[in-house]
Amino acid sequence: MILALETSCDDTCAAVLDEDGRALSNVISSQHVHDRFGGVVPEIASRHHLELVNTVVDESLREAGATLDDIDLIAATQGPGLVGALLVGLSTGKALAAGRRLPFAPVDHLQGHVAANFLSQAGPNGDAPPFEPPFVCLIASGGHTLLALVSAHDGFEVLGRTLDDAAGEAFDKGARMLGLGYPGGPALSRLAEDGDPTAHSFPGSPGEIRRGAPRKAFAEGLDFSFAGLKTALLYATRELSSDELSERAADLAASYQAAIVESLVSRSLRALERTGLDRLAVGGGVAANDELRRRLGEIGATVHVPDRLLCTDNAAMIASAARFSPRLEYPDYLSLDAYATGETAR
Amino acid sequence: MILLGFDTATNATSVALRLGDGSVTEARDDPAAGAHPGHATRLLAMADGLLKNAGAGTGDVDRIAVGVGPGTFTGLRVGVATARGLAQSSGAELVAVSSLRALAGPALEDRGEGAVLAVIDARRSEVFAAAYATGGGELAAGRALGPGAIASLIEEAGIASARALGDGAVRYRTELEAAGLDVAPDDSPLHLLRAAAICARAASSEIPVSSEPVLPDYLRRPDAELALEGAGVNGGRR
Ligand SMILES: [Zn+2]
Repeated sequence: MILALETSCDDTCAAVLDEDGRALSNVISSQHVHDRFGGVVPEIASRHHLELVNTVVDESLREAGATLDDIDLIAATQGPGLVGALLVGLSTGKALAAGRRLPFAPVDHLQGHVAANFLSQAGPNGDAPPFEPPFVCLIASGGHTLLALVSAHDGFEVLGRTLDDAAGEAFDKGARMLGLGYPGGPALSRLAEDGDPTAHSFPGSPGEIRRGAPRKAFAEGLDFSFAGLKTALLYATRELSSDELSERAADLAASYQAAIVESLVSRSLRALERTGLDRLAVGGGVAANDELRRRLGEIGATVHVPDRLLCTDNAAMIASAARFSPRLEYPDYLSLDAYATGETAR
Repeated sequence: MILLGFDTATNATSVALRLGDGSVTEARDDPAAGAHPGHATRLLAMADGLLKNAGAGTGDVDRIAVGVGPGTFTGLRVGVATARGLAQSSGAELVAVSSLRALAGPALEDRGEGAVLAVIDARRSEVFAAAYATGGGELAAGRALGPGAIASLIEEAGIASARALGDGAVRYRTELEAAGLDVAPDDSPLHLLRAAAICARAASSEIPVSSEPVLPDYLRRPDAELALEGAGVNGGRR
């Protein structure tokens, strides 16, 4: 069995995976202390990780009906993420392995999101089989937005990535401009249900495309950019009185959301065209967005979206990645350090 | 009893192994000036080296002692997470030792009289400091303060003079000497926070095995919390 830890942002996670890639437990302890700061505070996240991590490990073992004696590989996220937060999980994982001279697997967080698709998922009609390569993987969350070509279980090729904000970040920032608080992405989506997505002409939105606006050069590629969209919403809200804003908030939210979703869907389609594949997997917190799911349902490809808990940050996906990645024997992993940025695409 | 002790409160990584016969071996990594501390990359590898030399393994360790600060936040977390992970994995006992008390330890032993002020550089023009009497009793509890406020700490501790030790004492020698403290020469080994002193504390019967989870003694709250409170006090203005 594999025991994995994930602490790259503000969720303290541990999971146990069996030999067949079934998650026997997937414990996620979310820190709800950051909302009042309007964003994740690295120092506070790191302190909470340290308070929680050993208990979360114990819980993941208990839920799996296992003890450390059953574990033959320990894994932890090495990066990218908040280094101080990563170091808590990585140091704990290395020490758990060292205390028993077990092998250890350092895992790239994005490879983890990709590997969430390799888990077999329990369902009402038995286990759903894993989604096997090759496929294109769209990962969109508050921390990352990228398109990856997944040809094998042990790596991916980056096809496109965001040049500025992540998609989830764009949702949260838009929500703040509309006075929806933090984290406001889900609230923005709920508000958008009552709005007209063509009411406002945001960059990349159906409204803009309908009006025949010229497309930016990057819009023909596979990279993402949400900064212009964010600025457009800022200008749109600045011109409005607070009465007007509340009157038009639903239309603004719907148009804004439509522009983000259009950006994600159009580039995913383009990536499928360029790779000649017809299989798309989606991961990251934004995968929970209903509008995105609805649009992806219409693209005529096989679309795989793992369970919600496997889309957002979790340790089962890290264990799944570890299953297919090289393991380091004791003491070869003792000097591993965390890293903040970069994708280790292979 | 085999005891593994380490401290990561300062830029240095210090590890010591104390065997059943009381013999102690030590390993230390001092990063070059301006270099990144090597806590995460060096700590376990150094422990492994000491254990190998002693013909022992991590599973043979009966008690793990960790310096819980105060000191650099990230360094403390690497040390405490490593200690907790090792203890959870191997079943060893876990003991928390104050890094300030460990810093003062050797000087308290080698000097028959006089108090010791342990001073760790806290950056941002502050130090973490605590005062101890001969025999080890605490005269003034650890705190974060500007070097200019040391005089009031000495007054509170009720000591006329004391020897000041630690990287904070070296850095703020001028201010501390002006406050009447005796700062050892810069190259004195007494300025080093040594894991051997962590082991010495943890081997003594004074220190209980932790029943509570061991956590760093940060002595400082996160900036974001202070900023948020400050904003509240000032009616939202910053
Ligand atoms: Zn993620």
